[in-house]
Amino acid sequence: MPEGQRRVHNRLAVLRAERGLSRKQLADKLGINYQTIGYIERGDYNPSLELALTIAELFRLPIEAIFSFKPMTPLSEEIFREPPAETR
Amino acid sequence: MNTTITRGIEYLPRSRRRLVVTVALAGYPVAVAALAALKHTSLNRWLILVLLLVLLLPTLATLAVGYRYARGRIDGRGARLDERDLALRQQAYALSHRVLAAILIAATAITEIYLTSGNTLRFDANAFWPVAIWVIVYLPALPSLMLAWIETDQPADA
Repeated sequence: MPEGQRRVHNRLAVLRAERGLSRKQLADKLGINYQTIGYIERGDYNPSLELALTIAELFRLPIEAIFSFKPMTPLSEEIFREPPAETR
Repeated sequence: MNTTITRGIEYLPRSRRRLVVTVALAGYPVAVAALAALKHTSLNRWLILVLLLVLLLPTLATLAVGYRYARGRIDGRGARLDERDLALRQQAYALSHRVLAAILIAATAITEIYLTSGNTLRFDANAFWPVAIWVIVYLPALPSLMLAWIETDQPADA
């Protein structure tokens, strides 16, 4: 990753595994090289906004559910997390 | 066999790639300097030629590896480039420019020091050809070598 760039964490590997997609299959759907998927999953490459939105569209998830500046917590933890007191 | 070699080059770890790039960049100047030094010895001309070839062989091999590693991502021929490839190509060209500028500045400075120290420089065919070959070989190869230098290790297949 170029110097000075913030690391973008992502859940791509989990989502891909969940849907039983190989890197090659996902890359073909996105029109990119399969190595690029690996680099994104490893956090070595930050996708462009266009690619990030395309990935979100493909998985039918909001972009912030896939990409974040903060390290990702497991999805199950987010689903079953207690809502904040004021919203209860 | 051919595919095995190609895949081996494609998955070369960055430390090895950097070694390849270093040998590719340093090999030719070392060979030229060795030739210039050997010319003034009483060694047989054929022996000098053999020594020169032995010194040039790793350079040629590493240049080929560097070029193969970039596999069309620099000139865009025969490769479908995605946004990461294009970003990487841009970085490789930018680094090539910096390396080239550093080499030219260093060469100019060394020549300047050499000339101002009371020496003279004769620019004949003997001096021209090594420079010409360097320009012909390294200028097109530099972006591929820089790409091999900067790219991080490929993720394992999954």
